[in-house]
Amino acid sequence: MFELDRFSVAFGSATALRQASLTIRPGDRLGVVGESGSGKTMLALSLMGMAPEAAQVSGRLLIDGKDMSAATEADWQRLRARKVAMIFQEPMSALNPLRRVGDTVADPLRIHLGMDRAAARAQALDLFREVGIPDPEARLRQFPHEMSGGQRQRVLIALALACDPALLIADEPTTALDANVKLRITDLLVRLAEQRGMALLFISHDLASVARATQDIMVMYGGDIVERGPTAEVLHDPAHPYTRGLLGARPDPAPQQRDAAGRRPRLPTIPGTVPALHALAAGCRFSGRCPVERPDCATVKPAMRAFGTRSAACHALEVPA
Amino acid sequence: MKLPVNLLIGAVLVALVIGAAALSLVWTPQDFTVMNVRNKFAAPDTIHWLGTDQLGRDLASQLMAGARNSMAVALAAVLLGGSIGTALGLLAAAIGGWVEDLVMRIADIGFAFPALLFAIMLAAVFGPSLTNAVLAIAFINIPVFARVARAAANQVWTREYVAAARAAGLDRFAISRDHILPNIAAPVIVQATIEFAVAILAEAALSYLGLGAQPPSPTWGRMLSEAQTLMYQAPQLAIYPGLCIVAAVMGFGLLGDGLRDVTDPRLVRER
Repeated sequence: MFELDRFSVAFGSATALRQASLTIRPGDRLGVVGESGSGKTMLALSLMGMAPEAAQVSGRLLIDGKDMSAATEADWQRLRARKVAMIFQEPMSALNPLRRVGDTVADPLRIHLGMDRAAARAQALDLFREVGIPDPEARLRQFPHEMSGGQRQRVLIALALACDPALLIADEPTTALDANVKLRITDLLVRLAEQRGMALLFISHDLASVARATQDIMVMYGGDIVERGPTAEVLHDPAHPYTRGLLGARPDPAPQQRDAAGRRPRLPTIPGTVPALHALAAGCRFSGRCPVERPDCATVKPAMRAFGTRSAACHALEVPA
Repeated sequence: MKLPVNLLIGAVLVALVIGAAALSLVWTPQDFTVMNVRNKFAAPDTIHWLGTDQLGRDLASQLMAGARNSMAVALAAVLLGGSIGTALGLLAAAIGGWVEDLVMRIADIGFAFPALLFAIMLAAVFGPSLTNAVLAIAFINIPVFARVARAAANQVWTREYVAAARAAGLDRFAISRDHILPNIAAPVIVQATIEFAVAILAEAALSYLGLGAQPPSPTWGRMLSEAQTLMYQAPQLAIYPGLCIVAAVMGFGLLGDGLRDVTDPRLVRER
């Protein structure tokens, strides 16, 4: 079980993650969405104990009830791969171009489980089968450049699964992949999480993948968690203005009505851009771009308020009593 | 792919020198230790291809054996100094912080001394012998390789596959060995080729001063120094070993530059 309690990560005056509180239980499948720079990756790295050395971390991270604030790099090395594992966005650059993929997957098995070369190789073969790599025996001996993007991502999933982690963090696992490969990788992650009873933290800005993969969703903006709840409810009826903007900015595949001049309607966007981390408002981070902004939004940080199974951090939110 | 001219010329020269050195292990035209004072300063003929020296020893055979000596000293020195220097550079990059600063500042001190002078000083202090010549040349190579390895390693440490290896629970030393080292091999090998040229020159300088291999094993440097007093009488005794040194140093230098051109994509684009 992973618990974050008012966990913040800052670089000087720039806050990359602000007062994040969250609990991940065994078997949870939690999606994290938000634009680039919203703190998604910093959240993932923090759960791995891999936040940059220059970062100032405050608040608490508990893993199985144990406070990790005093954990050393050696403590984290024992937890990585076994307790928490991660797969990365770019499957080409996340594999060493000069190593056979089988050797890379065997690494954690030999280090953490003390397997010898032959046992690790046999286990790597099983993992390749489990993640659906065709002709796994031949693939073990291949180099990354000999494989397609989807195959490489499957190798990285096999690497992450090697020591049967309690939590698998997938940081934009499908962003670099083709649309049909994307769906298959997403479904594979869900199947593996269900079969192994493994928790899945699925980070993406692709709402369709998140909807497919997760039970619960967390929307982040500028280092804040702004909304959370069951994935289907949040995506169907978003409460936070940022979530509404994010959903509104998806292209509609249906044929569009043309206006009098024969133009198709423009794709709706959220006005403005994500401000630099050090230039964010002290209050609600979304102030300045928000369509329902109130006078005190820029100065007063909205608290997370619960309604039913969901919660959101917005001053304009009408919470039913 | 078109190979650069410097790579080709360098490869030919290096092949000649290494070929001569390897051949001398099993065969030389004459026994280079046999003296025949009656036949001193002989002109080139079919028996003595390049003639004989002041003691009637066969010049061509001595030059071949000298190549062997040069190659052996340079190889041992670059391997030893290169391994230690590369290991230190990897360590500096893996640990960072004050360890990295310390290693690199010590390397800077090493750079502050002219390498050749430093090697001569070390060999002079520890006494003239082949082993001390190797150690001295190896020593001046350590900071060079430490700097190259650390710069390349720091670049590789930022790659995503290193983050993935950390996420798989590998420690810094396992990452350095399995992931960093193979990916810095290209610049390290290029540097080793260039340092090989420097080592040949250093060996020649040391044996010229009598600080390298001791007689009777012939070295280009000592042949040069012995020929010095006979320059007006028999200039060819100085010219041939001098040409050998130039050919070997230039060969490895050009080969190193050429290898850098083909392995470093930034340089290729600029050309």
